Amino acid sequence: MRLSLFLALLLGLAAVGTANADPLPFERGSWARLNTAHAGQPTVIHFWGLTCAPCLVEMPHWAALRKARPDMRLVLIAADPVPQDPERLDAALARFGLDATESWAFTDRFYERLRYEIDPAWAGELPRTVMIDRDGKATVLPGVADLAQVRQWLDAQSKSQ
Amino acid sequence: MRPIFALAALVLFGSTAAAQHQHGKPGSTPQAFTATPAFGPDGTLWVVRPNVDRIVVQRSSDLGKTFAAPVTVTPEPMNLDWGPDARARIAVDRKGQLVVTFGTFQDKNFNGRAFFARSSDGTTFTKPRPLTSDTTSQRFEVAGVDPDGRVFAAWLDKRNVAKARTAGKAYAGAALAYAWENGDADFGNTAIALDNTCECCRLGVAFAGAGRPAVVFRNIFPGSVRDHGVITFRDPTTPGPVRRVSVDDWKIEACPHHGPSLAIAPDGSYHVAWFTDGTARKGLFHARADSADAPYSQPRPLSAASRQPSRPYLLASGPALHLVWKEFDGDKVAVRWQASHDSGRQWSAARTVAETSDASDHPLLVADRQRVYLSWLTRNEGYRLIPLGDQP
Repeated sequence: MRLSLFLALLLGLAAVGTANADPLPFERGSWARLNTAHAGQPTVIHFWGLTCAPCLVEMPHWAALRKARPDMRLVLIAADPVPQDPERLDAALARFGLDATESWAFTDRFYERLRYEIDPAWAGELPRTVMIDRDGKATVLPGVADLAQVRQWLDAQSKSQ
Repeated sequence: MRPIFALAALVLFGSTAAAQHQHGKPGSTPQAFTATPAFGPDGTLWVVRPNVDRIVVQRSSDLGKTFAAPVTVTPEPMNLDWGPDARARIAVDRKGQLVVTFGTFQDKNFNGRAFFARSSDGTTFTKPRPLTSDTTSQRFEVAGVDPDGRVFAAWLDKRNVAKARTAGKAYAGAALAYAWENGDADFGNTAIALDNTCECCRLGVAFAGAGRPAVVFRNIFPGSVRDHGVITFRDPTTPGPVRRVSVDDWKIEACPHHGPSLAIAPDGSYHVAWFTDGTARKGLFHARADSADAPYSQPRPLSAASRQPSRPYLLASGPALHLVWKEFDGDKVAVRWQASHDSGRQWSAARTVAETSDASDHPLLVADRQRVYLSWLTRNEGYRLIPLGDQP
């Protein structure tokens, strides 16, 4: 584990930079840890996958939004139903220019449990975006996200600050 | 990492830190985890399984209690399709001849190649050959033996995607392609039954009669609505119209990786089970139609969406219909089972027939004469063939 990441999580800091590192292994309990680490901070969590063609089309738009909105706390979770090689995931993220974004990847093939922890009613379809506000209220955008909606949500978060 | 931090990290994150060290293995290729059964006319159980980069077939003459040494179908290592709804399959004809189908990946963009291999007795297999000569991409291949003993194969094919791209046109999804066996050794010409189906879900095949296959698939209806359709062939080379099973209105530009199942009962009634996350309904459903051309009934929910119901499988055995699926209670995955003895109008209460606490393949049903079995591969328990009675 990268020292910077460890410290950031330990101290609950905002920027969790893992430049050029493999995605963190997302396992049983990871969802709760991730939520604790970002509690009280509006966070956009985007689920994608290497095995999901629409996701790969969508990712450059997330990269552009991230550039345009430095106020967006973005977390990426690769949720391929069959866990993918972390090096390939990292290479894809680097290609999109998203390798400095906090990033996780499913590593447990018992994906029913991982998904259950995130949302029991999520059947695993990708992409999927979950926006969690300061009070922990989640807004789910299934499928390819309407980024205008994400921008509006970000605007609303900064207003309510 | 400095020792003091390593210690603190372990205390704080438990297995996360440990797993981080283990998982960085370079080039770890995902592997398929499936086992697919078929019974021969003499009661032999055949199971086909991917084994890393090979396809193997095992036979059992005692209903899965013991298996003979595996026979390798693929002489050379192959880059097997490990997609979550992909599956090596096996079909047995009335003479006991076997057809194995499986898919490989041609590249890192999930372009597939569908293969078949045949055997007269399961001791040796012909060298695997592609189901079709077109090299663009084929996935989700499935073969079935019609009532006359002729082998029909269907798959999702991307040749028309490539053609459209060359012509500068858009093409959503893939095409439903099919071919019939041409003698014992080969498959004949490929034809396209329908363009613009969803591209990442398994197909279901049943037969309405000799030369009359029926295929259920996730279609792309106008507006990128990915609901289910059934095509029944009028004759071996004439696919009929798409009959929509249900208007779930699942509009999504995404990969559900979650295909349907189809059974046709002896009275000619059609039965489909499927997963949807549409605006009209969410979860797992069953519907019936009196015939190929009759409208489908109101969808019947099989479970609560919050229990992650998934991977339904239907089987008609004699006059009975059997239906299984998986669901998750937050701790264990259970296979639930229902049966119907009135053409799918009324169903027994669902009962759990098997459970597991780790990763599992889709539950499948297989029949030997009129005895029905659940076939299920799980990481903890391995392969199981579990006899089901007449009803739960």
